Amino acid sequence: MIELIHVTKRFGETTAVDDISLRVERGELCVLVGTSGCGKSTTLRMINRLIEHSDGEIHIDGQQIREFREESLRRRMGYAIQSTGLFPHWTVERNIGLVPRLLKWPQARIRERVEELMAMLGLPMGEFAGKYPRQLSGGQAQRVGVARALAADPDILLMDEPFGALDPITRETLQEELRDLQSRLQKTIVFVTHDMDEALRLADRLVVMDQGRIKQQGHPLELLREPADDFVESLLGGEDRGLKEAALLSVSERMLPLSPRLLPRERVSQHASLREALSIMLWRHAERLAVVDDEDMPVGELSLRKLVGAKAHD
Amino acid sequence: MSVGGIKAIVSRDASRPNVVLVSLLLATLAGWLGLDAVSVAPNRIVPGQGHAAWDVAGLPGLAISLLPMLAVLWLAWRPSRERLRLALALVVVMLAALPAWLALAAARLVDADLPQARMGVGAGAWVALFLLLLAMIELRTRLSLSRPLGWSLLLAPLVSLVAWLTFGLEPLALRQEFQGRSAGFIAAIGEHLLLVGAAVGISLVLGVCLALTMRRWERVRTLGFAVLNFLQTIPSLALFGLLLAPLAWLSAHVGWLAALGVSGIGWAPALLALVGYSLLPMVRNTYVALDEVDPGVIDAARGMGMSRAQVFRQVRLPLALPVILEGVRITTVQAIGLTAVAALIGAGGLGTFIFQGLGQAAMDLVLLGALPILVMALVADALLGALTDLLRPGGAT
Repeated sequence: MIELIHVTKRFGETTAVDDISLRVERGELCVLVGTSGCGKSTTLRMINRLIEHSDGEIHIDGQQIREFREESLRRRMGYAIQSTGLFPHWTVERNIGLVPRLLKWPQARIRERVEELMAMLGLPMGEFAGKYPRQLSGGQAQRVGVARALAADPDILLMDEPFGALDPITRETLQEELRDLQSRLQKTIVFVTHDMDEALRLADRLVVMDQGRIKQQGHPLELLREPADDFVESLLGGEDRGLKEAALLSVSERMLPLSPRLLPRERVSQHASLREALSIMLWRHAERLAVVDDEDMPVGELSLRKLVGAKAHD
Repeated sequence: MSVGGIKAIVSRDASRPNVVLVSLLLATLAGWLGLDAVSVAPNRIVPGQGHAAWDVAGLPGLAISLLPMLAVLWLAWRPSRERLRLALALVVVMLAALPAWLALAAARLVDADLPQARMGVGAGAWVALFLLLLAMIELRTRLSLSRPLGWSLLLAPLVSLVAWLTFGLEPLALRQEFQGRSAGFIAAIGEHLLLVGAAVGISLVLGVCLALTMRRWERVRTLGFAVLNFLQTIPSLALFGLLLAPLAWLSAHVGWLAALGVSGIGWAPALLALVGYSLLPMVRNTYVALDEVDPGVIDAARGMGMSRAQVFRQVRLPLALPVILEGVRITTVQAIGLTAVAALIGAGGLGTFIFQGLGQAAMDLVLLGALPILVMALVADALLGALTDLLRPGGAT
């Protein structure tokens, strides 16, 4: 659990972060989003004391971060950044084993842990362990960066635009994998990005920042439906908000049970988002879709009326 | 994978001539035929009489000497891996045969009755030597031979050179100049190496300390670079002159300095000046090397919980090391050359022969000083370059 209480950061005359309060629960993925220079990275870096806060208090698991030694505080938190920060003179294996080595784990345990992580992130040990960072593609390097951040099994993960430099397809794959990892590992994650789609896709709690202040925070759907002001609304996509919301809702939320009527030919998975369903309707010129499960068996149907219908379920 | 790739390149190129090798060999041929192979003089004073290659061995001999060159030319026209290997062997043989050729010239052209008669190496032979060495480097690269293997190829020519110098090349002017000065020559090499070693060693230690201080304090940095840049602009002779008075005064007034051998002339001002010149490249490279380590890497290192000392020792320093060594390489090569000038203020070293030779208008004596300096600089350059490659991040490139 991470808690920021009235935290302020001043650099000389300028105030980078202005009196923000934020609580990230255990197992929650909190995304800080905003334009560049809004103080989101500064906020992240204050949590592991790469930047010392000027005023207020920051707690992790109820303890003030200033009570920890800087190094031991950071070793308890995973840290992944946009440039990956992989050490170019170390192999992938050595890079991933960095924090466990700092924590003086026994050799055998480090090796075992590295092997486990590489398997988890789809980097076969035999192929990648001995490679150097410059021999990796952008996506592979970022996977190694995430593996390194997870190495000592920290409760907290700090990620500063980790997927910002990747091509859209690789980025989406890695976002998917992060969501997947998070559902299994239940870390407390603070994730900084300026990409609103990424923020909406990942966040349990979305925090919109502007000029050092928190404009609004809450579940992504809350922000989409009731933006606090024009800034939040435009950041969330203005007129595009409908599609962004549809992307967060799944077909199973709006589908109707099977009826005696003839099922339409066009089909959509029950796990797909409403946005995907809408896209299929547009593409196929169909007003009704059959909803199918993983075995491709029909489980219901979705009509355009129902899709765009009243927000009956919340 | 990479071996296959290289093979593919070589075989794809097999249809096309290796332009570099062909032009090198054509130039060698032109130099060999068009320039004097050797020059012969009855004594040290009179200028030598040039002799072309056919004077040395007659037309049949010349024809034989041309054969391997033409052969390499033909091999380079349609290069395959096997042909390039053969060409490399031929080039090595030619390099090894060059001293023998000079011995033959000495036997045929130098009048044995004149004890002072001497033979100088002519432009043709020098040109052949340097172009064949270049051809060797080109072949080494084409065949992607490892560095140690490349160096060991020089072994045969070197052994041949030493053997012929010892047993068959008495009239060679260079050797005659050496003959009277063998003890002095060895001592001069020692002095030269000692001065260079001391200057580079001291400036490395000082340079690293200075660079570290400069990284911490902005003021020291601007001031330090200003002073070092200024030092670099003083001509070396002037710097030696400027140091003369203060050092002479110091040695007269400070007893232990005089006891150490410090005085206005000799090794002390030379060493001081050399260190002064060496500091700028050393400090600049060290500073830039440490400063230009990717900030993202340093940020990650700190964010992972490495202490300042760990970040410096395990990340910043190893990543900066190749660039720092680059500075050591530049400094060393520069100091090897500058030390020659130090002979003017009585610091000894190989420069002694150069200035003696200049004074006596004896070019071979100048060569006796200059050639070892050249070799030293090349060897230092190659060794430190190899070390830099070895330490590059992520292993060999």
